[in-house]
Amino acid sequence: MRKIYYLLLLAAGATSYLSAQTPSDAILMKGNQACVLLEYSFASFDHYWEGEVKRNNQTIETVHRRSAMPMVAIGLWDNLNIYAGVPYVKTWSTEPNGGNFAGASGLQDLTLAAKYRWLNKTLNKGELVGLATLGFSTPISNYLPDYQPYSIGIGAPELSYRAILEYQHSSKWFVRGAGAYLWRGYAEAEREYYYNDGSYYTPWMDVPSAFTLEAVAGKWFLADALRVQLSYIASRSLSGDDIRSYNAPQPTNRVNFGRVGLMAQYYFPQVKGLGVVAYHNRIVDGRNAPEMITTGLGLTYFFNYRK
Amino acid sequence: MKGFKNKIILSVMVAFAFFSCEKDLPTYYEFQGYEFASVDPTGGNWKPILINSGADISLPTPSAPGSPAYLQEIEDLKEQVARMTEVETKAVTYWTQNPIIRWNEIALELVAKYNLIPGPNPDGSYTLPNPANPNGPPAFPFAHPPYAVRALAYLSVAQFDGLISAWHHKFAFNRDAPFVQDPSIKATYVGNIIPSYPSDGAVVASVSRQILTQMFPLEAEYLAEREAEHLRCLLLSGANVQSDIDAGRTIGQAISGIALARAASDGMRNAQAPKPVSDSIAQAALDRFGWEWINRELPQRPVGLTPLYGKVRMWSVDNVEQTRPIPPPAIGSPEYLADVAILKDFAANVTQERRRIANFWQDGLGTYTPPGHWNEFAKEFIVKYRLNPLRSARTFAYLNMAMMDGGISCWDAKYYYHYPRPIQVIDGFTTIAGTPNFPAYTSGHSVFSAAGAEVLAYIFPSEAQLVRGWAEEAAISRVYGGIHWTFDATVGTAQGIDVAGYTIEVARNDGAD
Repeated sequence: MRKIYYLLLLAAGATSYLSAQTPSDAILMKGNQACVLLEYSFASFDHYWEGEVKRNNQTIETVHRRSAMPMVAIGLWDNLNIYAGVPYVKTWSTEPNGGNFAGASGLQDLTLAAKYRWLNKTLNKGELVGLATLGFSTPISNYLPDYQPYSIGIGAPELSYRAILEYQHSSKWFVRGAGAYLWRGYAEAEREYYYNDGSYYTPWMDVPSAFTLEAVAGKWFLADALRVQLSYIASRSLSGDDIRSYNAPQPTNRVNFGRVGLMAQYYFPQVKGLGVVAYHNRIVDGRNAPEMITTGLGLTYFFNYRK
Repeated sequence: MKGFKNKIILSVMVAFAFFSCEKDLPTYYEFQGYEFASVDPTGGNWKPILINSGADISLPTPSAPGSPAYLQEIEDLKEQVARMTEVETKAVTYWTQNPIIRWNEIALELVAKYNLIPGPNPDGSYTLPNPANPNGPPAFPFAHPPYAVRALAYLSVAQFDGLISAWHHKFAFNRDAPFVQDPSIKATYVGNIIPSYPSDGAVVASVSRQILTQMFPLEAEYLAEREAEHLRCLLLSGANVQSDIDAGRTIGQAISGIALARAASDGMRNAQAPKPVSDSIAQAALDRFGWEWINRELPQRPVGLTPLYGKVRMWSVDNVEQTRPIPPPAIGSPEYLADVAILKDFAANVTQERRRIANFWQDGLGTYTPPGHWNEFAKEFIVKYRLNPLRSARTFAYLNMAMMDGGISCWDAKYYYHYPRPIQVIDGFTTIAGTPNFPAYTSGHSVFSAAGAEVLAYIFPSEAQLVRGWAEEAAISRVYGGIHWTFDATVGTAQGIDVAGYTIEVARNDGAD
């Protein structure tokens, strides 16, 4: 009998990409540009929602998560960018704790994505841009998604279909809305029986698909060298069970959360192509989700890879 | 150029659409009804566990096949079959002619549902599940492995005794099944012709519902629904008329009462000892050996899991101390230090294979427990070797009796020796499995698994090597998980083999071999 009562890192893992030159923002590079990004983030939580009830748990105390991710983005054409990235993730609990569990670490999921601009319209006082993103991610190491809350990822392939619409006013203010459908496949546990509102005689766990809605407002400063934005994202699973009383989460759980975020990105005028990005976000409500607080830093570098 | 781009985008989207495959995730064991390997016409003479003989429970003489009463029952049956719905047809296929399999699955499902350890209250105290207030919180029961194996043992033993009684009357009265009496009735379940009075399926349905309702009181309504569905399927399958079913229920009622009376007085109600008793048990170990196990959870649990489970009445062993193993290595001794080194090495080198083994056998909170895992193996062998319901019940009965006796013997050792867990005595040690709330020596997984494997090896000799290999893997899995010493596993395996021997001796003399 274990006494593990864990938490999902799923929420944080699935949406940890920062919003700079990523599949989820409205920025598009030209057809001869490429960008490399190095992102480092640290996150933790000491409360979580067991179903809809918020609680803490001394078995796990505060769970920490560090992530380092290199990513490349390439402009194939002016209207089409592609992306690839893989994070390395490490998790552990503050000591002392009542569970004495080992944390986990390793390469998480490879993400590939393509972003296409289908609308680029000049209005009398600004610009309206519409984009669509297709993304695919899949685990590239043998991490165990059933080892909650320390698992470094959800362990299932994911297909994301995202639509983005951004309006930028001539005053340099912008607003953006995005909606995504995330199809998730199956995670493989290392056991052949589990309970999900009934018996399941298989190691395969159906990871609930989800949709997300995101609203962003921000402004460009310093002759477009600095961008600052506030965001709210809501994510809802389309199926799944609740974490059972004082029990560990599992990949079949229904995970919902709302998260607010603040992000700033700065391009050094003196060094062509170099930028830094910093962000901070917090999950403010949830169901079967950790109350995760995340802070991230990144370096971006643009260059022309062809004439 | 633009057309080319659009083509690429379109083809990527199409590729993604096809990727979205869905899997079929089984929620029960899918197998076709099968012809039994034997009918066992003398099965009614086998020695039962709880009663003296299959003849102990008497039944009224059934109406003769040609009698008006019986012909009326046949007409009623045909009328019901003619009005069968699609849902009912599926249910008949689901239950099969060996419904022991399904009731065992229902039992495992309830074990998994209730295998949740109570969490702390806001003030740091813990509330125990209370059968007098089953809704809780926390809900009753906490179906931990000792509870689970006991529930499974009473279920299987009552099924076995009930079926011995059914077999006795079947071959005494020798009334053929409706589909034999009237060729216009189509039998759903192909194969052997076994006399139908009393209905063996009704015995199983009635016994299972009653035992499981006692063990999982909050499931009374659910279990009554399952019983009603099963009983109806017996009729709709063409295997039984109503009087067959009624007679089966009479046996079920009688056997359940006897089994539950034993359960009420077997000592389980005292197993979760109060804190003063628990403390005195720990103190006795400290005085005797110089060590004691301490719960390391936060907030600390005041009492370990069922300290007096070792005093519960055993099935086949007179005195638990007959099966108590030798003492574990003293803390600080060379043998102990060697084990510390092994555990540290495993913790530092979690290979893919060791992790797989640790997780495959973990069967922790929220699952059907290690005894449940062995019931699942038994189920698959029963289907593979096409056992009839009587032999299926016999398999589960001895399997669960041996595992429950193993659990009792193991718990006796755990609280007699009160040996610390690795996280208690190795500084900074972390594990990939959850450390349970009871002493280390000996390993419950090891004892349950070895006892289960021995019974399966006895009943399915051609699987002996396989199942004994599994038991050894289950034992070492706890060392890989970081929560047991190697001697917990090896001594526990020997203990399980020893304890199972007592039940296998009973089995060899029951008349079935």
